[in-house]
Amino acid sequence: MQQGVGQPEIAGRAASGTSTPAPGNTLYPHYELGAAYDEMFAPDGTVRAQYHGLNGRLQTLPSGELMRRQHVCEQSFLHQGITFTVYADAQATERIIPTDLLPRIVAAAEWEHIERGLKQRIQALNQFLLDIYTDGHVLKDGVVPRKMILGSRHYRREMRGVAVPHGSYVNVCGTDLVRREDGAFVVLEDNLRVPSGVSYMLANRDVVRRAFPNVFRAARVRPIEQYPNELLATLRSLAPFQEDVSIAVLTPGVFNAAFFEHAFLARQMGVELVEGRDLLVNDNVVYARTTSGLKRIDVIYRRIDDDFIDSLIFREDSALGVPGLFNAYRAGNVILANALGTGVADDKAVYAYVPRLIRYYLNEDPILPNVETFLCREEKSLNHVLANLDKLVVKAVGESGGYGMLVGPHASAKERAEFAEKLRADPENYIAQPTIQLSTAPTLVDGQVQARHVDLRPFILHGEETRIVPGGLTRVALKKGSLVVNSSQGGGSKDTWVLSQ
Amino acid sequence: MLARVADSLYWMARYVERAEHSARLIAVNLESMIEQSPEDAEAAWRRVAAALTGEDLAGADAFAVTQALAFDRTNAASLVSSLHLARDNARQVREQLSTEVWEHLNKLYLGTRDPTARSVWMHQPALFFRQALEDLFTLGGVTYSTLRHGEGWRFLELGRHIERAQLVSRLLDIYFGVGSPSRLLPPPKYFDWLVLLKFCTAFEPYCKEYTAALKPETIAQFLLFDAEFPHSVRFSVDRVVEALGHVAPGAPPSRRANCERLAGRLKAAVDFGHIDELTGGTIDAFLVNITRQCEQIHDAVYATYIAYDAETVL
Repeated sequence: MQQGVGQPEIAGRAASGTSTPAPGNTLYPHYELGAAYDEMFAPDGTVRAQYHGLNGRLQTLPSGELMRRQHVCEQSFLHQGITFTVYADAQATERIIPTDLLPRIVAAAEWEHIERGLKQRIQALNQFLLDIYTDGHVLKDGVVPRKMILGSRHYRREMRGVAVPHGSYVNVCGTDLVRREDGAFVVLEDNLRVPSGVSYMLANRDVVRRAFPNVFRAARVRPIEQYPNELLATLRSLAPFQEDVSIAVLTPGVFNAAFFEHAFLARQMGVELVEGRDLLVNDNVVYARTTSGLKRIDVIYRRIDDDFIDSLIFREDSALGVPGLFNAYRAGNVILANALGTGVADDKAVYAYVPRLIRYYLNEDPILPNVETFLCREEKSLNHVLANLDKLVVKAVGESGGYGMLVGPHASAKERAEFAEKLRADPENYIAQPTIQLSTAPTLVDGQVQARHVDLRPFILHGEETRIVPGGLTRVALKKGSLVVNSSQGGGSKDTWVLSQ
Repeated sequence: MLARVADSLYWMARYVERAEHSARLIAVNLESMIEQSPEDAEAAWRRVAAALTGEDLAGADAFAVTQALAFDRTNAASLVSSLHLARDNARQVREQLSTEVWEHLNKLYLGTRDPTARSVWMHQPALFFRQALEDLFTLGGVTYSTLRHGEGWRFLELGRHIERAQLVSRLLDIYFGVGSPSRLLPPPKYFDWLVLLKFCTAFEPYCKEYTAALKPETIAQFLLFDAEFPHSVRFSVDRVVEALGHVAPGAPPSRRANCERLAGRLKAAVDFGHIDELTGGTIDAFLVNITRQCEQIHDAVYATYIAYDAETVL
């Protein structure tokens, strides 16, 4: 890192062919603007308004100071043990999620738009879930193919007619947004089952605020620390009574990839962290085994997938859940958040229908658009996808976390051919989308400020009311040019600053 | 408090206590063997091995014994095994511990796994164990001063002192007992009694009470029946009784009765016992009885508070 004060110089990006001529500045000699929208720089190389404060600070920092602060940041994560487990190799390895010092900054007006869009979307998705588990108007009206819903691996027949509080199935949602080349935020996917990452959002804020205290204060960044409290209020609002509500976070245990987050949220909310073996069901009531005897549990924020939650109803080989839990739930004696069976609505095939669902239930135009999506179940689309594999991203419908996915432009001919076979064998299991040049944001790589692709996962809470803390987890693809931001695939994360004006 | 959490805290404390005991026995013996004849040193190592593993390692040298008792992961009594298990239990209940306790224990565990630890051990073995001991003392202090002295802390105390009472009893049995494995060993000499006191950090407190005249009977009296010395059996039993009075605050007296009866019975034995009554081989039976009573208390705690049958409390 060289020290310097001067004009920003932005090197051209040879691969994309769209190089941007810019005046000289030694601070950003490695910053390349490509076809993607850049969060900090306009195409002409000028710094966008929301980044002025940060840019000014970066210009005056002595040489090596950024690296030093990055190091302090990483040490703090190490000591707290903020780790993620990766299952890619036979032996699961524990490692620290790479965190980047430079915040991603969202202007006030941009956030206002995102927030409205997210509220609209969660509203429609919850109405959709209520509908398909009760009357099924949307299926009768032919808006969504009946076979696709009832045949989905995540549709829970057992949930038919089960009443959920406030008609709210998805109480905690993580929606992945990306920014297109034209600067518009679009929805990449909804995570309606057990979305994770919120502890990283809070941990990032904690270290980055300390790294740039003055810029942070001057920028008037909106706070996010109230998240655990809002989550608690959301969970509380689901209980049928308000006095002495007993709430617990249900974790698969210490070997789960997100155990840190489960323990973190339980501690921050001041509620018990329980494992399946701590709970038992008697006469359709759920109890926790305490030293003083059995304690009734009223609301469970469960971080265990549907399949594993009750071995009597779902997978019988599951030792993680609680036998009898589902019957207690159906009897109304315990509330589960999220409700069971929400996975049917974040299926990548259903995703393609969400704009139609918004119009159907709310009679509104979607505020946040979808990414154009080809359903391989339709023959015409399948042929189009097979012919354009080198330009498309193909995803397995039921997978998440970046597994079972092909990024066409970055795959070898052999990988594409292999994937084409899988596609032909089981087209209903796949969707395809054009590769979107996710927007880029300044990221500290090897001591230099470089452009890396990012997405944004805000967390939406939905109970009696909808609450969204201003911000989210910005995930960043640390490999140059890579569009895969998942932490299981070598992605990192950043603090996200939403400005108040 | 969740029963599972109490279980983890209890075992975390037991393993920490076991690690501290192992580290101290090895450190003291490494330091004192310098002044001993080879035969006396061998006998001393056999006593240490017998106290820590219950086995007689006749003919083993200091290197082999320390290697097995310090770094052997397959040996459940080794220092690394104890620290590993302590940390595993702590990790499961991290949200119940203070950051300071967790980070200190984690660092301690990582430190003994560090390759430099082995090189310190190769060159200055006693220093390695002294360091571990110092870190364990710090952990004790951090635990005392950063955790709320609520139910969780009481389970830590319970685990620590049930373990300590048993470890000290077993150690005394090696020196005073007439049964196996002690009968295989040569009778202790003056220097060995000194080492025994140091094994229990008791040398200086003993001298203050009884002067430096080391007599086996007064040593046994001190380590078994002193009310104020933290490594005496009586002191530990008092802490066990105290802890049991505070765990599971919501449990009715009828549920608590059995644990409290067993702890009270043991307390009576050490409160009113005297070394003069333990002559002619009866000390053997007395020590075995203490160990057995500790096991009974452990079983009762599990049956009452941790692994109870849910039907009994519905």
